Amino acid sequence: MTPRAKVLWMIGSVCVTALIVVAWQMIANYSGIPAVFLPGPDRAWRALVTGFTTGDLTQLSMATVERMIYGWVLASLAGIVLGAIIGSSKIAREYVAPMLEMVRPVPVSAFMPVVIAIVGLSGGMVLIVIALGAIWPVLLATVHGVSSVEPRLMEVSRSLRLGRLQTLWKIALPNSQPDILAGMRIGLTVSLILAVIGEMLTSEAGLGYHVLVAARAFRSADLFAGVILLGLIGLVSNVALQEIERYMLRWKQR
Amino acid sequence: MTPPATRKPLIEFRNVNHAFGTRPIVHNIDLTVGESEFVCLIGPSGCGKTTLLRMVGGLLTPSSGQVLFNGRPVDGPEKEISFMFQDYSKALLPWRTAAGNVSLALEATNVPAAQRGPRIKELLAKVGLANHADHYPAQLSGGMQQRVQIARCLAQEPSVLLMDEPFGALDAMTRQALQDEILRLIAVSKTTVLFVTHDLEEAIYLGDRVVALYPNPGRVAQVFDVKLPFPRDQLSTREHPEFLRLRRELFDFIREGEA
Ligand SMILES: Nc1ncnc2c1ncn2[C@@H]1O[C@H](COP(=O)(O)OP(=O)(O)OP(=O)(O)O)[C@@H](O)[C@H]1O
Ligand SMILES: [Mg+2]
Repeated sequence: MTPRAKVLWMIGSVCVTALIVVAWQMIANYSGIPAVFLPGPDRAWRALVTGFTTGDLTQLSMATVERMIYGWVLASLAGIVLGAIIGSSKIAREYVAPMLEMVRPVPVSAFMPVVIAIVGLSGGMVLIVIALGAIWPVLLATVHGVSSVEPRLMEVSRSLRLGRLQTLWKIALPNSQPDILAGMRIGLTVSLILAVIGEMLTSEAGLGYHVLVAARAFRSADLFAGVILLGLIGLVSNVALQEIERYMLRWKQR
Repeated sequence: MTPPATRKPLIEFRNVNHAFGTRPIVHNIDLTVGESEFVCLIGPSGCGKTTLLRMVGGLLTPSSGQVLFNGRPVDGPEKEISFMFQDYSKALLPWRTAAGNVSLALEATNVPAAQRGPRIKELLAKVGLANHADHYPAQLSGGMQQRVQIARCLAQEPSVLLMDEPFGALDAMTRQALQDEILRLIAVSKTTVLFVTHDLEEAIYLGDRVVALYPNPGRVAQVFDVKLPFPRDQLSTREHPEFLRLRRELFDFIREGEA
């Protein structure tokens, strides 16, 4: 994109956002939906401001972000390690891959009762659930990346007499970098979703539980403030990861 | 088909046969390459040139017969043998810079990190890429990528270089420059070279001997001794009467093969 087109795009998206906010305000003011259900952007904004200045929104956001990141890091590490093991061995691939394909479509929520039975309703349970849900995109991406190295590069590796570990570390894993990063980005979104659901289930302090309580008490402004915050967290983390990806994959650009 | 008696045999094909499935690819190959000899392999596409090189490189075991290196059968890639692949764009790690790609060969032989930097610098300078150390392969031209591969091979400090149509895809100027570069580099290091090419003139220009192969299945057809003086020169060597005589002989040979 040329710089000019970029600026136009930005102006465009700002306009669309502004339009949506205005429309939201109009609906809140004139549609007759009671304010207990639908606050206008003005009230949601005020709830945000008071939440951050006098309330505990900062701590709650931090708690959720922390949970999301811990679970995501756990999932990514486990996904890369397991994926590397499975991907670099043909036998492992043949035996394990069908099982992976079977387990993968099962929603994590189905595993939740099992996890709860084992570790109880706790912060630890939430972490495990996040890791279980976010591991898939990373795991499958790593298996694919590690097992689809250009054959010529494998010959280079043989010719230089690199060992198995060296081949994995210097060739197969870097080769998987684009897949792994894309998988991790999906995993991050999954982590946020599961962090929220986990908080709702376990009543662990965080934005998820905050939103649930606000909804139950008909504090719609707080509810919307929480939802907006969650959206922002998702957006910012995604953009940050995109930037990291762009830096790590700079070798791909011409 | 042996080198001049003054050379110690380094690579020997002994009655080598290879088949992929039931299809014979190379047949009864007997060929000896002497120490610091430059042998060029020519022959039509599919006659098994790459197959022979891969055997010496330890990437392929012949169906029958033996390939010896230093008198011992090759049973895997040897430390002293370096393979330079034809498709340079696939043989470099795209996520590593030119320096990083050369470094790979040093890492493979456990050269301590502190010593790698200066060695890489020296190697890249040797192939004329001193100013491109930080470039990724995608930012380099084909000729430059091939030079990175040369530098990586030299980093192994091999006693044998296996080169599979290394200059095939390059323009004439780059090609001649790299030909001279290789000749200069191996004259210093006394490296033995097995070199595959489609270009008869390139084979004569570079080689001590030119081995011509017949196809279906691949066999040694004829071996030409190149008695041209060193150092070779793009102008005077190519105008040398012996060069012209060999060129004619090889062209006639190829034409007969096609007839
Ligand atoms: N892995 C393989 N499986 C089956 N057939 C193969 C394999 N590798 C090579 N061949 C066949 O063996 C024959 C010789 O291949 P090779 O690559 O050695 O030829 P070449 O002389 O190097 O040809 P070119 O000049 O085109 O590179 C070809 O007909 C090819 O199709
Ligand atoms: Mg070939």
